[in-house]
Amino acid sequence: MAAAAAAAAPGGPGAAPQGLGGWLRSAYRFATDRNDFRRNLLVNLGLFAAGVWVARNLTDIDLMAPQPVP
Amino acid sequence: MGNVLGPGAPRAPRRGEPLGSPGSFDELHRQCKEVFPQQMEGVKLVVTKTLSSHFQVTHTIHMSTLGPSSYRFNATFVGDRQLSPTEAFPTLVGDMDSAGSLNAQVLQLMAERIRTKAVFQTHQAKFVTWQFDGEYRGDDCTATLTLGNPDLLGGSVILVAHFLQSITPRLVLGGEMVYHRRPGEEGAILTLAGKYTAQKWVATLNVGYGGAHASYYHRANEQVQVGVELEANTRLQETTFAFGYQLNLPQANVVFRGLLDSNWSVGGVLEKKLPPLPVTLALGAFLNHWKNRFHCGFSVIVG
Repeated sequence: MAAAAAAAAPGGPGAAPQGLGGWLRSAYRFATDRNDFRRNLLVNLGLFAAGVWVARNLTDIDLMAPQPVP
Repeated sequence: MGNVLGPGAPRAPRRGEPLGSPGSFDELHRQCKEVFPQQMEGVKLVVTKTLSSHFQVTHTIHMSTLGPSSYRFNATFVGDRQLSPTEAFPTLVGDMDSAGSLNAQVLQLMAERIRTKAVFQTHQAKFVTWQFDGEYRGDDCTATLTLGNPDLLGGSVILVAHFLQSITPRLVLGGEMVYHRRPGEEGAILTLAGKYTAQKWVATLNVGYGGAHASYYHRANEQVQVGVELEANTRLQETTFAFGYQLNLPQANVVFRGLLDSNWSVGGVLEKKLPPLPVTLALGAFLNHWKNRFHCGFSVIVG
C-alpha cells in the first residue's frame, strides 16, 4: 500500500524542490517571509547600500538657489 | 665606535601629521544620530534662564497625549576650567521631575588627561542607576572604564571597558568589553569598532556577538546633511534601517530634520527661531504606516 502511494505520487510533499521551478518557489518564499532574520538582514543591507548611494550622489542641492524662470 | 646615540640624545621627530584624539566610544555614531529628528508628542514648554556665567536653570512643562503630563526642573553648574567651547570642568547637572525622580551627573577633570564621571538616577525614592566612569585621553588613544550599579553586598556589578586608537589621522579602531556578574551568573560580550573619517563623510561600524551597528554620515554642503543607519540584533533577531536628513537654512532661521525607516515610519521636525526674541518653535509629526499610528507635537523653547 505504501509502495503504491509512493509510485502514484513521485513528487510528494516530503520531496525536496526540484529543478528551476522549485528553486524559484523557495527563493520567493524566502524573499516574502517577514519573520526570517537572514531575509530581513539582507533586505536592510540592500536598503543601507541604497541609502549610502543616495547620500553620496543625490544630496548636493542648493536649497536657496532661485527657481528657474519658465 | 662607542654609543653615538647617548642616553640623553633627543628622538627624531615623527613624520606626518598628528593622529588626533579619537574621542569617546559613546560618540562614535554621534554625527549620524544628530541628523535624525527626535520623537515629539504633545505640547512642551522649555524655559532656560542663565543666572550667571557658571549657573543655569531650566523649567520644562510637558503636556503629553500618550502618558501623564509632567514638570521637570534642571540646574547646571559649570566650573572655571574650560577645555573647549563644549567642555568645562567641574560640571554638575541635576534634573528632577514632579514625581520626585532624580537624574544627577558630576563630571570632573582629575588630571590633564584623566576625567571622571558619576551618574545617579532614582525613580522617586529608589535608586535605579549608580555609575562611575574613569577616562584617560591620550594624544591618539582613549581608554575608559565604567562601573555600573556596583553592589558589594549583593555581589553584582556591570563592568564596561572601552579602548579606541587612532591608526591614521582618518582611521580609528577599537573595542568594547561588557562584563556582568550576578549571584549564580556571569558573562562577557566583546564588540569591535571602527570609524573612518573623510573630508565630507564618516563611516562607523560596531560588530560583536550581540549584533552589528553601521552608520554613514554625509555632509553634502552647508545646507544638507544625510545619515544612514543599520542595526542588527542577533539576540532579538531584529534588524532595522533608517535614513535621515537635515536641512539648514540659516537665512530663514530654519532647521528641518526628516526620517524614514524600515518599520514603515516617516517623520519630520521643523525648528524655527524667532529673532529678535530668544524663542525657538518646533513642530513635529510622525506616522507609522504599518501600525497605522500618528502622533504630532510642538514645543516652545525660550532662552
